[in-house]
Amino acid sequence: MESIKLRKITSVWILAVFVLFIVSIILGILMRLNQGGVINQNPVTFYANMTTHGLTMIGIWFVAGMAAINYLMERYVKTSYTVNLIALVLTVIGVLMFWVSTFIGKFHAAWTFLYPLPFKLLGAESWSTLLFLLALTIFGIGWLIWSVSLMTQILRKYSISQAFAWQHFKKNPSVDTPPFILISMITLIGVIASLLAAVVLLALLFAEYFSNGSFVNDALLMKNLTYFFGHTIANEMLYLGLAVIYELFSEVSGRPKWKTTWYVALAWNCTLVFILTAFFHHLYMDFVQPEGFQIIGQMASYLASLPAAGVTVFSVLIAVYRTKMKWTLTNLLFFIGVAGWVIGGLGAVIDATISNNVVLHNTLWVPAHFHTYNAMGNVLFSIGFFYWFSTQFAENIKPERFTKWTLATLLIGGAGFLLAFYYGGADSIPRRYSVYPAELSIGAPWAVVGAIFATVYLIAILVFFYNISKRCLKILSSPS
Amino acid sequence: MFKNIVFTIITIIFALIANAQTASTGMEEESNIYEKLFDVPLHVNDGQQIAFSTLYHQKPLLVALIFTRCSGICSPFLLQLKDNVQLKPDDKSFQILVISFDPRDDLEDMGVMARKFGLENDPQWVFAVTDSIEQLNHSIGFHPVWDSESDQFDHDALLVGINGEGYITKKLIGIRKRHDLDLLISSVNNVFSPTYRLPSKNSLFSCFNYDPKTGKNTPGLGLLFIALPAVLTVLLLIFISRVVHNRLPD
Repeated sequence: MESIKLRKITSVWILAVFVLFIVSIILGILMRLNQGGVINQNPVTFYANMTTHGLTMIGIWFVAGMAAINYLMERYVKTSYTVNLIALVLTVIGVLMFWVSTFIGKFHAAWTFLYPLPFKLLGAESWSTLLFLLALTIFGIGWLIWSVSLMTQILRKYSISQAFAWQHFKKNPSVDTPPFILISMITLIGVIASLLAAVVLLALLFAEYFSNGSFVNDALLMKNLTYFFGHTIANEMLYLGLAVIYELFSEVSGRPKWKTTWYVALAWNCTLVFILTAFFHHLYMDFVQPEGFQIIGQMASYLASLPAAGVTVFSVLIAVYRTKMKWTLTNLLFFIGVAGWVIGGLGAVIDATISNNVVLHNTLWVPAHFHTYNAMGNVLFSIGFFYWFSTQFAENIKPERFTKWTLATLLIGGAGFLLAFYYGGADSIPRRYSVYPAELSIGAPWAVVGAIFATVYLIAILVFFYNISKRCLKILSSPS
Repeated sequence: MFKNIVFTIITIIFALIANAQTASTGMEEESNIYEKLFDVPLHVNDGQQIAFSTLYHQKPLLVALIFTRCSGICSPFLLQLKDNVQLKPDDKSFQILVISFDPRDDLEDMGVMARKFGLENDPQWVFAVTDSIEQLNHSIGFHPVWDSESDQFDHDALLVGINGEGYITKKLIGIRKRHDLDLLISSVNNVFSPTYRLPSKNSLFSCFNYDPKTGKNTPGLGLLFIALPAVLTVLLLIFISRVVHNRLPD
């Protein structure tokens, strides 16, 4: 069973994630208000905020997933508290460095920092690029150590084939691999690959930065590496949330625990293989990329997501269809989150289809789909876990007043905020414009609508934050 | 032994620094882009002394760097520029600043040059000298080299686009066609203009290597870098699995 130290550090992760999430939502709302013409930000400020918003969101929901699987993994294998603590400390240092680079240094190359933007920033402090790259290095070190440590702990108990549940392809497997272990392992492999891509990417960026012009990078290579890292980690953090669902959904619903079957093993092994090449779909517009890579990108996008989504949705539907089950806030959030993940995922697959991408590329459709599976998918997976975790050690849990209203507020706010993106995308409004020119003026009212609904979403998040954080603070203040 | 290691490391570091300082990137048009111009004081053709920033705040600038005693590229360069600009009589969205990088040049020399090209009364053209040419050259990334044998500067024919906020938006080296000038004018007016980077020896890890003789692309080292993270992950997985299972008791 998990230690008190693990409970406490998990509480710290939850509090940190919530605080950073609220700040990032506010930055997002400010961006939409600026696009709507309600406020007037300097373009450099807008893009610096966009950079902060994007990378903070990616970072916090990645560490939220990692903290959750680290906590739940103690049920199966011993994990390292020290490594967890190192990851926390390095994440905090990394966030501080990153925020200084954007808020003070005005680094504004977006969270994707596509080459050569970090070296060509107009209006940013000259030191901000170096600080940003160092912040990424700090994140990378902390998260890589954490991921490798968790993978090592799984491998102590399970062989490689057992960790990937290959024995389930045969009848009557001798060893049962829990779905949580299977998905965690597959996700950690992807996370490690993406972080190693970041290592290669950062090494090349530092080499150019310090070479004083004697070494320059190849833009195509840098874009491939950027999305190997960025796309993969953004997807893997969703799978971390799914590992939590496979572990907890049945448990909190009072149902028998889910088991690994051959089709679950097959689907997740597909994800393992294909998620590492799905990022090619970010390079459809790069005419120098070989056509074969583009085709691999489309095929891998289908094969990485559809089988895993299929078995997960099937498992969730089977679990709830005509079944007497105990609905709590946790499994409700999980259930709605799976719906958000599937809707956003379909939007992603539509965009990853080459013939559609010609129309949708770099329009608001893109933030529409990734906000769907994040804001209404992964975030709900993590908040579901946060809520479940916070109630594990509280005495006399009373049903919280206004829970239904809070959930309804979250749904209304989230749906309205996302629809404003989708409608903008359908109107071919490009993304990443700080203000819309006259030709794209239809984008402005949608941005205002988006900001209003995002504010509604924020209210619901604040309520969750209040309820969950007060219990996490109690865990922190409890005697060791 | 320790001293030898330290000595070797120091030698390598200095060699790298020296290499970095002397190596040409082969991408002079890309150097210093989006960097702010050093705000030097200018002596302009009407005898006034004004700051560079005063000029670019009035209108974006195309800056031509020349010297009046040039027996080579400067005159044909200015002539071509004048011809190209005259093809756009209605476009007054920018000014052209002709500035000498030769400390021997004075306003009188520049006046003679302006009259030679019939530009002395054209308000779009400003001829100027500065006492701080080194700082200006440095901020632009322009490096003329004095050749005492020919009594001339060895230099590029450089036209630099400066937007209304004083940032270098684009550079053109050599005598260029009108289309290139149009792109430069667009860039100083903050209108998107495409740019590209030519292959060079300093780009070691390209995904593809283009051979201009055959017109074909061949796979480059960069492609291996794309596969590297996945390969490293598999090796790490196998390595950790072997290590932990070898340590476990039977």
